[in-house]
Amino acid sequence: MSTAITAARHELLASVRAKAPYALVAAFLGMVAASTFIGWRTTVTVTAIYERVLADGYTTQPNPFTDVSPLYYVRNTVIYVLLIGTLMAATLGVQSALRDRKAETAALIGTRPVDARALRTGRLLGLGILLAALVAVTEVVTWVSVGLLVGGPLDAAETLRIAGFGVLTWLLLVGFAGVGMLSGRLLHRERTALLAPVVVWAVIAFVVPQLGTAARPVSLLNPVPLPAQDSGAFAWLSHALAPIAITERFKTASGALLGSPTTGSAAASALLVALFAAVALTAAILVRGTRTQGVPHE
Amino acid sequence: MSETVTLARKELLDLRRDRVVWIVVGTLGLAVVLSVVVASLDFRAQLADYEAYAAQVKASGSGVTPAAPQLFPLQLLRGGMEYVEVLGALFALMIGYGAIAKERSRGTVDLLLTRARSGTSIVMGKLLGLAILWAVIMAAVVVTALASVALIGGSTIGWHEVGRMALAGAAGWVYAVFWSAIAVAVTTLTRNSTAALLTLLVLWLVIVLVIPQIGDTMDPDNQVPGGLFKALAIAKPDEHAVLHHFATYESLRNGLEVSSLSKLYERFTFATLGIKDIYNGQSLAVVWDGTFRYVIGALTLTGAALTFAAASGRRIHTLRRS
Amino acid sequence: MTSTAIALDRVTHRYGTRPALVDLTLDIPEGEIFGLLGHNGAGKTTTVGILTTLLQASAGDAVVAGHDVRTAARDVRASLGYLPENVTFYNDLTTMENLVFFARLSGLRRPEARIGEVLEFVGFTGHDHERVGTFSKGMRQRVGLAQALLHRPAVLFLDEPTSGLDPEGVRALRELILRVNAEHGTTIFMNTHLLSEVTKTCTSIGILRSGRLVHHGTLADTVGAFPTEDALERAYFASATDAPA
Repeated sequence: MSTAITAARHELLASVRAKAPYALVAAFLGMVAASTFIGWRTTVTVTAIYERVLADGYTTQPNPFTDVSPLYYVRNTVIYVLLIGTLMAATLGVQSALRDRKAETAALIGTRPVDARALRTGRLLGLGILLAALVAVTEVVTWVSVGLLVGGPLDAAETLRIAGFGVLTWLLLVGFAGVGMLSGRLLHRERTALLAPVVVWAVIAFVVPQLGTAARPVSLLNPVPLPAQDSGAFAWLSHALAPIAITERFKTASGALLGSPTTGSAAASALLVALFAAVALTAAILVRGTRTQGVPHE
Repeated sequence: MSETVTLARKELLDLRRDRVVWIVVGTLGLAVVLSVVVASLDFRAQLADYEAYAAQVKASGSGVTPAAPQLFPLQLLRGGMEYVEVLGALFALMIGYGAIAKERSRGTVDLLLTRARSGTSIVMGKLLGLAILWAVIMAAVVVTALASVALIGGSTIGWHEVGRMALAGAAGWVYAVFWSAIAVAVTTLTRNSTAALLTLLVLWLVIVLVIPQIGDTMDPDNQVPGGLFKALAIAKPDEHAVLHHFATYESLRNGLEVSSLSKLYERFTFATLGIKDIYNGQSLAVVWDGTFRYVIGALTLTGAALTFAAASGRRIHTLRRS
Repeated sequence: MTSTAIALDRVTHRYGTRPALVDLTLDIPEGEIFGLLGHNGAGKTTTVGILTTLLQASAGDAVVAGHDVRTAARDVRASLGYLPENVTFYNDLTTMENLVFFARLSGLRRPEARIGEVLEFVGFTGHDHERVGTFSKGMRQRVGLAQALLHRPAVLFLDEPTSGLDPEGVRALRELILRVNAEHGTTIFMNTHLLSEVTKTCTSIGILRSGRLVHHGTLADTVGAFPTEDALERAYFASATDAPA
């Protein structure tokens, strides 16, 4: 236990001290902060468009944005979590796994009387705490910014929904941190160690959903879900691939929490995100590195 | 000049032995093929839906048969071109980074500096090597794309398709050269390789994904599943009339989108291949008329990136181990 | 009667098909300062790797401080201190932050006082809160020795400890090694290819050639056979002609 706690403390200290990933962290926090404004500005414009359309007599349909939850403004945050947050988490995982090789301290660690799994668990714990702190900052920013836009504090139910979204975000991020750690431990060069989780992410975020829905890759970055495909091959593929399309599951579960339109079961989706995190973390703890020594040359 | 060519040759030799390059070629090829498979299946599904609907209409005794969906072969490449836009940029960054970072990690930059005329010629030699590599990769993408449209999509490929696809390939080459130049410049100017790598990753995220995503998500029509104007049952001419009242918002949104080179590349490619409906079946003159601003913008940005890379050569001593 | 601190029994190690160590058998009593000499690639670092549990021998047995390196690796690690050839730390962390981490991994609960004591012993005070990344090779070597001594190891392994140091650094490190041995009775196993260092520091030596031990004896016995100023150098090269083909 003490090994894990020592490793967790060290992980936190070393991650905070290493400045290289700061740009990614800043991009993540900045975009989350901006997303409420983007969502609000867009909603205001679309409402104005609707009023214009109604006044000009082009439609008799009801306004699709009447009675939307104030949390609807933060729908873009979901995209920034799965776009920037996941890559930030994977990068932190890669850097954690490569730290001993880059500092050439692997031999000093290897001659200490510690269990390697406890050490890896501790490092993940440290990263988990760091990611929890970052997620907490984003949730506070979200709560305050939505409160400012609607002119008052959010009620308990809405606050609870934001907290739930925070937990879900944390699960997705620690899962990707685990993927990053595995990549850093198994691959020789820093470039390939970083490239591998990005490619894994692209497959999960673009390729798998494309196979299930025939959606164009980039359109999957729109928070508004695409109409489901119900024709034979796609319906079958969609069902078969649903558990692997983790970012889509995250969108579904988050959409339900934030009051956005979604497709699919929110509870099952949240469970799959949690399962992904559990599998990635277990693998990151159990899989021993083939590359434990030697500077990661390019 | 011969010095630059010598450096480019040596770079190509290195790149040929770089496993990442082969992974890049394989991944891009696979993504293009996969997208054509998905688009073909999607078209067949649409056709089946149409046939069922047409049979229903016929059975009901109606004389009016709706128009059948038409297959435009190059439209099958939409997903594939998006992969080139997203993954091609990432791969160009990673390969460009590797070309410079390896000199630092091997400690060979001193050997180059004591031989080459200037840091700029070293950097430009490497960029020339990368440009040749990307010309080969893009040629492979063009061939793969055309072959998959013919074999998987079951379409006939004529000179029209070959010409348009070659133009899209050339645009992809300019796009990859831009990202290679950025990678070379940033890696040369950054003292720490990890910081360089992560800076490039952030640039990729922001320019390729975040900026176009913001533009896309602010599009009023993208606010409800299936489209806002469709949900409100508004016809296309009326939609334009309404949006005319929101010109400032639309200009801001469009300005944001075209500030990203990725979007410029996408707009030109989609127009050339007829993926964007308004350009489908149009002559190259019409396409040029609609997209020359994007072409000029993309070439200007690429020129700026190359100048930036050449200038970074003057600071190449940052790669030396202290 | 002194007991054995380090014992190797027919230890063999191969990298792929290339043999790095062949049937190495060696006993080093407690309290010795043992110097392992050899040309580059002779198998010195491989030997230290096996004894410090960083490598698993292809065949043979090795015991350090009474514990088998294969079956009781954790106990071996608890008993040893290790200073690698190019000692490096987490550059973004301070001396204290680095040493606290390594001390805790060695099982020390509240290591701050012990760290102060060891830093004073190695003559490196006043830099506790400076980042290691700013240190010279000599400074890092002292911090390296401090991390190796934190948990009062019974056996200390030093891999080319004076490599890359200036003459002042070499002398200071040599004095520290002698003090550790004299004041704490720590057994020291030192890899080197500097004959002069062995003469000034070690009590016994071994000479490796292409993975085989071609000489083992006390320093006095070794240089006794060549009673000249360059006695050890003569002994070293004489061992080359005796080495099996």
